[in-house]
Amino acid sequence: MITELGYGTLAITFFLALYGIGAAIWGVQKRKPEWVESARNAMLLTFPLLTISCASMIYLLVNGNYEVEYVSSVTSNSMPLYLRITALWGGQAGSLLFWSWLMSAFASAVTLRNWQRDREFLPWVIVVSLVTLGFFLGLTLFVENPFDRLWLLPNGIAVKSFFAREGAIPFYQSDGKGLNPLLRHPGMIVHPPMLYLGFVSFVIPFAFAIAALITNRTDDRWIQITRRWSLVAWLFLSLGLILGARWAYDVLGWGGYWGWDPVEIAAFMPWLTGTAFLHSVMIQEKRGMLKHWNMILIILTYNLVIFGTFLTRSGVLSSVHSFAQSAIGPLFFVYIGASSALSLGLLLHRWQDLKTDLHMTSVLSREALFLLNNLLFMGILVICFWGVIFPLLSEIITGQKVTVGPPFYERATAPLFAALLLLMGIAPLAAWRHSTLQTLGKAVWKPTLVSLLAPLTAVLLGVRNLAALIGFWLAAFVACVTLYEYGRAAIARSRTHGESLPLAFWNLVGRNRRRYGGYIIHLGVVLMAIGILGIELFQKETQATLARGEELRLGPYTMRFESLAVFDTADGRNVARAVVSVYKNGRFVGELYPRRDYYYESQQPMTIPGVRSTMEDDFYVLLVDWQPISSAGATFKVYQNPLVNWLWLGGFVFILGTLIAAWPESEKSPAIARAKRQAPLGAEAS
Amino acid sequence: MSVEQAQAQEQQASTIRLRWGRGLAWLALFVLLIILAGGLLRNQQGAVSVGERIPEFTLTTFDGQTLRSADLRGKVLVINFWASWCKPCEQEAADLEAAWRFYQPRGDVLFLGIAYVDTEPEARAYLEKFGITYPNGPDLGTRISQAFRIRGVPETYIVDREGTLQFVQIGPFRSLSQIKSAIDPLLQP
Repeated sequence: MITELGYGTLAITFFLALYGIGAAIWGVQKRKPEWVESARNAMLLTFPLLTISCASMIYLLVNGNYEVEYVSSVTSNSMPLYLRITALWGGQAGSLLFWSWLMSAFASAVTLRNWQRDREFLPWVIVVSLVTLGFFLGLTLFVENPFDRLWLLPNGIAVKSFFAREGAIPFYQSDGKGLNPLLRHPGMIVHPPMLYLGFVSFVIPFAFAIAALITNRTDDRWIQITRRWSLVAWLFLSLGLILGARWAYDVLGWGGYWGWDPVEIAAFMPWLTGTAFLHSVMIQEKRGMLKHWNMILIILTYNLVIFGTFLTRSGVLSSVHSFAQSAIGPLFFVYIGASSALSLGLLLHRWQDLKTDLHMTSVLSREALFLLNNLLFMGILVICFWGVIFPLLSEIITGQKVTVGPPFYERATAPLFAALLLLMGIAPLAAWRHSTLQTLGKAVWKPTLVSLLAPLTAVLLGVRNLAALIGFWLAAFVACVTLYEYGRAAIARSRTHGESLPLAFWNLVGRNRRRYGGYIIHLGVVLMAIGILGIELFQKETQATLARGEELRLGPYTMRFESLAVFDTADGRNVARAVVSVYKNGRFVGELYPRRDYYYESQQPMTIPGVRSTMEDDFYVLLVDWQPISSAGATFKVYQNPLVNWLWLGGFVFILGTLIAAWPESEKSPAIARAKRQAPLGAEAS
Repeated sequence: MSVEQAQAQEQQASTIRLRWGRGLAWLALFVLLIILAGGLLRNQQGAVSVGERIPEFTLTTFDGQTLRSADLRGKVLVINFWASWCKPCEQEAADLEAAWRFYQPRGDVLFLGIAYVDTEPEARAYLEKFGITYPNGPDLGTRISQAFRIRGVPETYIVDREGTLQFVQIGPFRSLSQIKSAIDPLLQP
């Protein structure tokens, strides 16, 4: 019954999406606004309908209805409630349904905005959103149906199908296979939804961009409307990436946070174009330039979202680690081909209309530096894209799949990231339109001088690595410039408004959230950079097999192997848990419990490290192997990860800054309107 | 040259540039799609299946010996993909070694172990732990596992004397007799 309900609402939503596309186009063609209005209602309805469908799926998962193939493949009796719910996105079919549901949430939300001023966009925004949604619904409905049931044919073979097969009887199982143990981590529970939210919310700015191209409304309106949408999309995407890094650090058991895996890069690429887009729209808003460029960036972002989803789900790249082989690959291919060709064609068709006569007036102006920042982001994108596409290319040409590893990406992108940091320090101090070396130098010299203290301190502390010194200086430089900007503006405000300094500071951020939120994001990046420098350049590791009571040393740490126990748990795991004592510079600092869980039902092991975290470093212990009979000896892999917690702290600050920048401003409040009138001209510029 | 002429020339030059730009943009998209289609096509072929010839490969063992699949024709090959980090592999390790010791005296059966995504010290420790004596080597750059398009470890491919794949075991063997029953039919003269 519930299975039928879920499947039925899914099917209805699919046809509703098709209807919405048709009605919107028809309404424009025949100039019948009531048809467009009907399409809008159709799009509004997709969210409640898919909510029912998702709720049905969750009901089946929680209830353990193992006759449904998806339920039996991702849940089992021993799984706790919260994992059964999150199993909704634990496999291909369910996560497609979940993707569609999130997409419909954004599509429905966009119908609810006030369309009075930009009525002409409405039908095309509906068409783009519903085509995207319809594609994913079609995949869910016809190719990867999460509601498919298992049937037993007369010859004893089990097949999956939604409708009853002739002569087949329903196949009821008493237990399922269970969720992949790697996915049973809090980070993994939140990470995919955040990433999906980031992906689907970029569809909305894209839809407006396409609407602007089709209606030939080439002013800045589409950018003004989608500014906050883009920020929200970017927020979710950033959050998804950070949580993914944290998950890798906690679970994957190699002491790393980012492995340049194709799947990671697939999510990173739209983030790169999205970040470039967020910066370059400011130039269009302030100076009316770069209209072509912004269109290119948003089109790229959308297509990279689809491309990334394709890469992870079609099994084109790593046939072992991604979702199992499936028929959705070719369909995705056709969709990517069509969407990129159509958007490219449309852009080229409107190329002349997007032209402006404005030109850069100075190579040191803020717009020029922003453009440079964009080019650097594009450079990193090209490197990532090349790395991802290279195995496919080499397979076609030489017949062998040659993959490029992390060293390629690290070497190629590191200088670009360093240049980005430098720009992050300089650009906020440059003026719009016109800046000379002299004006810029005048603004920069004080923070530069202060920032030199950082590498000097590092040298005094014994750091001799040149890359690290440059990196620390860049981080300190950006931090000094940003704090200097805050300080200067807050002091100015406290003078003109007669406010106390903290109040002036608070009001400053509140009155210009976009600018100061952006600066907080920059500070977050600085903290993350410090963490990355620490772990990348100063990580130490060792491995040793220890008998009980034996010790190993790593940096200032000494670790003693105390004991090991192997036992079964009630939820179907076999756990091997070691107890080790950790001493730092000879002083006891605590016990750690690295362990290895073996999941019987899915036959998969999972390594859970024992970690001692401080802002200075993480001491990270993995249990690699042990003697099962005597329990006398065990092998450990041990890492010292300096400064890594700055990375997580930076991630937190980064997200906080994005929230501030994206927070809706209550423009109707008279106090703010007054403040805006009173504010000096310079304070508005950002 | 009058101002109009110069303007017309400039106009013409910009039209040509635009045309070239368009052509290049389309070409880039086209090439990209071709590459993707190529990858997809190969992917759709799926795993090597029973009845097909196995892909040729070269394995350098941990002892430094080089084995070429082409040189091994005339022998029944048992190719086992494993990893030291793989728990289910441990279930079958002892049975595989027992089977090897059973067939080794005949001389016409060869077992090959291929360590998938592994580090050498850990792989060697694993071999030592289970006392494995048949040739084993690392799958450098995962070339062999990609050629076989394995889905995970352990997986075992049994190949007849002509180099045709005759049996595939996904996941661990459950017993020695199961391994024997897969090999024996290929030994009939």
